[in-house]
Amino acid sequence: MAPDGQTFARFFDGEQGLRLDVELHVDTAAETLRLTHPDLPMGSQYWPLWAIRALTDQARADQMVLTLVADASLDSSLIKTARLTVTDPDMISILTRLCPNLKKRDVARGTFRKVIAWTGGAVGALALMIFVILPAMANTLAAYIPIEREVAWGKTVVRGMERFLGGSEAGSLVCRNKEGLAALNAMTERLTERQDLEYDLTIAVFDHRMVNAFAAPGGHVVIMRGLISKADSPDEVAAVLGHEIGHVESRDVTRNALRTAGSAGLLSLILGDFAGGGAAVIIAEWTLNASYTREAEAAADVFALEMLDASGTDASGMADFFDKIAALQDRGSAMPGFLASHPDSHGRARAAREFARTQRYGTRPILSKREWTALQNICDD
Amino acid sequence: MSAQIQGRYFGKGAPLFKLYFITAIFTVLTLGIYRFWAKTRIRKYIWSSVTGDDDSFEYTGTGLEKFLGFLVAIVILAIYLGVVQLLLTFIGFSIVPQDDSPEAFAGQAIAINLSIFAVLPLMLFAQYRARRYKMARSRWRGIRFGMENGAWGYVARALGYGFLTMITLGILAPLGTYRLEKYMADRSWYGDGRFDQGGRWQDLYKGMKHVFIGLVLMIVSGVLFGMGAANEQVALAILGGIGIFVAYIWLLIGLVYYRVYAFCYLTGKKVLDGQITFSAQVETSTIIAKIIVGGIVISVLMGVIFAVIAGVGAAVFAGAGATGQLGAGSIVGVVIIAILYALALLAAGGLSLVMITQPIIEHVVNNVTVHNADHLDTIQQRSADSFADADGFADALDVGGAI
Repeated sequence: MAPDGQTFARFFDGEQGLRLDVELHVDTAAETLRLTHPDLPMGSQYWPLWAIRALTDQARADQMVLTLVADASLDSSLIKTARLTVTDPDMISILTRLCPNLKKRDVARGTFRKVIAWTGGAVGALALMIFVILPAMANTLAAYIPIEREVAWGKTVVRGMERFLGGSEAGSLVCRNKEGLAALNAMTERLTERQDLEYDLTIAVFDHRMVNAFAAPGGHVVIMRGLISKADSPDEVAAVLGHEIGHVESRDVTRNALRTAGSAGLLSLILGDFAGGGAAVIIAEWTLNASYTREAEAAADVFALEMLDASGTDASGMADFFDKIAALQDRGSAMPGFLASHPDSHGRARAAREFARTQRYGTRPILSKREWTALQNICDD
Repeated sequence: MSAQIQGRYFGKGAPLFKLYFITAIFTVLTLGIYRFWAKTRIRKYIWSSVTGDDDSFEYTGTGLEKFLGFLVAIVILAIYLGVVQLLLTFIGFSIVPQDDSPEAFAGQAIAINLSIFAVLPLMLFAQYRARRYKMARSRWRGIRFGMENGAWGYVARALGYGFLTMITLGILAPLGTYRLEKYMADRSWYGDGRFDQGGRWQDLYKGMKHVFIGLVLMIVSGVLFGMGAANEQVALAILGGIGIFVAYIWLLIGLVYYRVYAFCYLTGKKVLDGQITFSAQVETSTIIAKIIVGGIVISVLMGVIFAVIAGVGAAVFAGAGATGQLGAGSIVGVVIIAILYALALLAAGGLSLVMITQPIIEHVVNNVTVHNADHLDTIQQRSADSFADADGFADALDVGGAI
């Protein structure tokens, strides 16, 4: 800026579209920037240097757009201030030097509280959805699925599992030894003779070494050969079977499938957006699942114990079996499926043993020696 | 003041790339939360690059309001999607047969894909809200732009015209293009001046000519190919195959041509405050050239960068192998390579912004003219529009695009 020269800048008052080429003058004593133009009210305007802010992330290096600090407002649309575009390089450097808060970012009061409150509200709403509303909806709706649909669906689930476990075609993993099936049937009969079950049970043994069993919708229960080999007595197998029948009767799998469909859609939206990965969704869904199933598992355990009791079967079979699982878990074996959601096998063994001590009726083995041998060989043709 | 204002774009590649790259790193480090601020800063840069009569545009949105808006949108969407998915699964189980028959398979596929139709209206809603938000946060000469609330009306119309376009195999596409743009333009404001979309939708058919040529070529080539294959006439089949390829490219370019043509036509028929008019002379060839050249340059650059990273990686492992030490050194090497790789991916995003998106914006801005611009002086400020959701729905549903 020449000593006696005039510096002009483009001024917009934020009220009308008319541009005024105002004359600028810095008053270092009063620490103000004076804007002069005949069309301004009273002919001039004074901007305190401390209150001047420059717009950030601007593309043009040959100009600086100035504004006055706005009345603190979170809603950026309400900030109503004038704009002053300075193009004179000398004036830009003078103002850069003299304005102390040129680059200051003004944050409205209460911003932090607002962010915390809104974030908390969002998390709370989502948690309510995941932990209360979706499970409640799933529970209600599960009762309205016609049983024949559930049975058909269960069949596809079992077939899918078979394919997953390496069965080349439908039924290729299913064990079909006649005497073994008769023994399995006898076990089921004995367990359920005093029960009023809602589903017709379809029980199968898969020729697979995994120590596992699962229930599918519509009364399907599958036991793996590995579980039968691991058991030392038929009572142990009966305990697992009772547990799975418990899942069948309370429609756990169906309810879980509905709930999972809802929460997976919800989680993939949130996590997919934030972390940008499907892995996070799977982990979150898995954790969520474990927390839901713990309750269902405990209920199925109680169901199984009562079933064992009613059929006069010694519940210590269940205790023995859980002890084995606990030993496997302690050794750190990977326990997929049926066992993964049962973290506290020691506790469950203890509960079963406790129950066995109070059994009301006299107990007898659920299968004869011959039947038990047949069941153990169910996969031999 | 000149009665005519020519748009000018001042943005440069290097500063925008730097801004993109740095904000992208912040975004990664904050697990994605910074992206609202990142997008805001990039918008500020691009808006401030656009000038008319030497006065720059200004983007007044903030990262904070975008973040809070996202929270609002994500809660609404998550609840909606959770319920919809659950209900659709229920319907899938209780109505659709569950066996291996083809009908059951088709039924299940429909049930699963229904959730897309459940989201589609929300995506259109988000589109309108996002445009409205960006308008409300744009200023020129200190005067705000704005757009009236009408998102659900837009959703209904967009679904209707989309359906019409679909069942007429694209023949009625210009009707949808015109009416939807008119719906939005007629609700747009600059200060107290209202935009008005004039013109006729039938006029857009001139812009469809290359799409139709491409389609006809495609059908003819398909018939030739089919005849050649059926009668074992190799030459005919090859001719048909080449024809299909040419038709495909023709169709793609034809679609770009249509978009450019529609933009220029619709811009030329807009009137602001009853007096101010516009014209646009955007060149399809320039746009396509920028896309192709940008694409080639980015591919070559990224190829070189990834090759260098791979070379460094090979050297690190070769060194570790030679000394027989696979200890801390090689772990550090792996980490460094992983970081370099991630940075290179971020750089690719920045390059596409700087070498394709920005040049296209530049070409468009430089070829838009405002006529009868003196009347702009009489425009008064409009009252502000406030948003609880900002353009959070667009962020959550990822319909926002590059900027």
